[in-house]
Amino acid sequence: MHYDPISVSSTAAPTPAPAAPAFKPSYLARGIAAFSGMPGFVVKIVFLCVVNALAIWAAAVLAGRHNWPAFAVLVLSTAMIDAIYLVPRRPGLIPLKFLVPGTIFLVAFQIAPILYTVNVAFTNYSTGHIIGKAAAITAIKQNSLQPAQSGTTYVMAPARDRSGKLVLILQDSTSGKTYVGTPKGLTPIPSAAVTVKDGAIAGATGYTLVPEKELFAIGQKLTAYRVPLGGDAAIQPQGFNTAVPLQPSLRYDPKRDVFVRISDGAVFRDNGRGSFVSAAKEELEPGWSTHVGFLNFSRGIHDPLVRNPFLRVLVWTFVFAGGTVFLAFALGLFLAITLDKPGLRFQRGYRSIMVIPYAVPGFLSLLVWGGLLNDDFGVVNRLFHIHIPWLFDPNWAKVSVIMVSTWLTVPYFFLVAMGALQSIPKELIEAAKVDGGGAFAIFRRVTLPLLLVAVAPLLIASFAFNFNNFNNIYLLTGGGPATNDQAVAGSTDILISYTYKIAFAAGKGNDYGLASSIGIVIFFIVATVSGISFWRTKALESVR
Amino acid sequence: MSTYDEAAQAPAIPVPAAAEAPAPRPSVLAGNWWRHLVAIVAVVVCLFPVAYILSASLNANASLTGASLIPSHFTLHNFGFILRGSKATSEQTFGSVHFVRWYVNSMIVCFSTAILTVLLGALAAYAFSRFRFKGRRIGMLFLLLIQMFPQLLALVAIYLIMLHLGDVVPPLGLNTLTGLVLVYMGGALGVNTWLLKGFFDTIPADLDESARVDGATPAQVFWGVVLPLATPVLAVVGLFSFVATLNEFAIISALIQTKDHYTLPLGLRGFIDQQYGQHWGPFAAGVLLTAIPAVILFQFLQRYIVSGLTQGSVKG
Repeated sequence: MHYDPISVSSTAAPTPAPAAPAFKPSYLARGIAAFSGMPGFVVKIVFLCVVNALAIWAAAVLAGRHNWPAFAVLVLSTAMIDAIYLVPRRPGLIPLKFLVPGTIFLVAFQIAPILYTVNVAFTNYSTGHIIGKAAAITAIKQNSLQPAQSGTTYVMAPARDRSGKLVLILQDSTSGKTYVGTPKGLTPIPSAAVTVKDGAIAGATGYTLVPEKELFAIGQKLTAYRVPLGGDAAIQPQGFNTAVPLQPSLRYDPKRDVFVRISDGAVFRDNGRGSFVSAAKEELEPGWSTHVGFLNFSRGIHDPLVRNPFLRVLVWTFVFAGGTVFLAFALGLFLAITLDKPGLRFQRGYRSIMVIPYAVPGFLSLLVWGGLLNDDFGVVNRLFHIHIPWLFDPNWAKVSVIMVSTWLTVPYFFLVAMGALQSIPKELIEAAKVDGGGAFAIFRRVTLPLLLVAVAPLLIASFAFNFNNFNNIYLLTGGGPATNDQAVAGSTDILISYTYKIAFAAGKGNDYGLASSIGIVIFFIVATVSGISFWRTKALESVR
Repeated sequence: MSTYDEAAQAPAIPVPAAAEAPAPRPSVLAGNWWRHLVAIVAVVVCLFPVAYILSASLNANASLTGASLIPSHFTLHNFGFILRGSKATSEQTFGSVHFVRWYVNSMIVCFSTAILTVLLGALAAYAFSRFRFKGRRIGMLFLLLIQMFPQLLALVAIYLIMLHLGDVVPPLGLNTLTGLVLVYMGGALGVNTWLLKGFFDTIPADLDESARVDGATPAQVFWGVVLPLATPVLAVVGLFSFVATLNEFAIISALIQTKDHYTLPLGLRGFIDQQYGQHWGPFAAGVLLTAIPAVILFQFLQRYIVSGLTQGSVKG
């Protein structure tokens, strides 16, 4: 008896069926065909017009900003597109006509981001290491300003000059000398011009004081306001009516590329990882973004703060994806076997209800289950009169996540198994029966092996899908509940949601470098798994 | 967003309509009672959340605590509430619901993405199927490989690209629906292309040839011959792209910032996140209004999905 496993796994490549009785194109088909004539040409021209219009818009903006490299890329690519579509009949160009539209998007929103991500994976790009080195040096200089030892303070009033610019009216509280401070510097003004009342400045000739009720609105501006005094020293407002002179506590030596602390002469050197660090391991804030080689990857091995959560999440990701696929397949197969009985009543009805979890958009089901499993008001607890913290206990949350994911996936495997079962030649089963095989033996020795051959690629694809199933985690538990090791990763976080949190979670800082490197690790895992699947399918195909 | 994943989830194996019984139908449930028992348990498990959502949407007691299988007081108020929306408090705080807005936004994004994905995928698949050019094989393999890198992981880069793009051409940048569709287009090629190419390969090249002899250009062959014959598979790819886009959460939450551009996942999640307890009823109504069209569409296209992928080839 010849059995061809491929006939079961008609996954992507459909096999031609016997010719249909008469060819009657559907409305949709006829609608599409209409584009082969004039409408198609018109659409093409309109598209080209839109593309060129947008390109001209962007080109004008870019030229205005003197961003010539971007301008050149834009002009060249637009010219190329126009050439491909408007130059008549160059046989070599015809495939390009069909490939270019998708490729443009692929390059812009898939390849370019991936290249960028790979680049970031080798940097320390993260909170505190966002800016370039020059900007970081300027910021460190700014941050190092501290109230001067002299103890001088100024009585201050924010005011506006004739042109409406914010200035500070200042009076030295010891000497009583008066000044106007601007971002350009300090200018003495005659004390007669300034009215002082009850130790506060009440007015200044030629300037309008900022009214009290507007002070809060300019609070941030005021905090950042600096009146330079020469060198790196400056006067900084403290609150709304005093100001103090500040002096740098660090000195930058551009020749040696080091910062020296003025008080004790401690030297802060560039540590090669985007920070100035002293011999005593003190670090200056902020750092800058720089290439750090394989540091992010080796942190996963050497740094316990990264390694422990990462390993925990990695193991759980495999458990989650493997467990979900296994349970869903087992249940789906069981249901399919149960219903795979010719003449079973209500079969069609059962089936159309059982595919509902698959037909409902997943995000809705996840949000709904989140409510049903709520431990205080949740329906599940009230229905069974239990009090299980479904989503708030680390272990129960894991159970819930797998349970809900299984609920979502069973219908898919039910449909798959149903189809696969029905394509297993009945003669094989009959023959086994004749040979005296029991029902279970037939299932184990005949049905299951044939079925597995057919669905193995789908099992692997489903595993790869669940491996990166961000929604199932994020919409149900948000990765939580939190663990007691203070890590970013909660107890149900899988690699992809963990990565997302490392990059975007507020509160614990964003480490884009580490997130990108984990992204690359995920890519290799999924590529390996899919590669095995691909290779197996290839191996199967070569059988034929 | 990767439609590859969704496509992998497609019931690709034929599901013949329930096999018709041979003439004499067994009159007793005798040997089959356990089958019915299992099926009924499965049906109950499948319908359990559905029943609660249905009941909650019709229940006058809108809180989660009050949720029960049988509504205590029937009302359609929840539907009114979610459809009318509320601007009781300011835009950014709890009370605001713009369900209709989210719905419309979702439909705009999902339909544009589905149609464009099908179009771009089909164009590329046609080139791979009908032309022989340098780099064809490499190109196909490259598409397969690149799909394994989830777009979600490159989110930082995508965000920055959109930031710059919006800086130059504002209607395409951050916090716009067009920008979102552009980003989703990045995943238009890929496994879709493989799927479509596999199908196009089964359309006999003789058809192309005879059209070419009659003077059709490659573009006319594509639109007039190949695409119409591939409608079933186009519908399948479109449906999966639609569903994948509707379900996408991570990219959208990074790129869309204001409530008037929210789509259903963002809106409903934000809504339920902040007031799980009190607004369970309106939430349930929103869920139903979203889910019912999807389920109907699925049941309608189920035949398409099955027949499209299994018997959908054409006569030669």
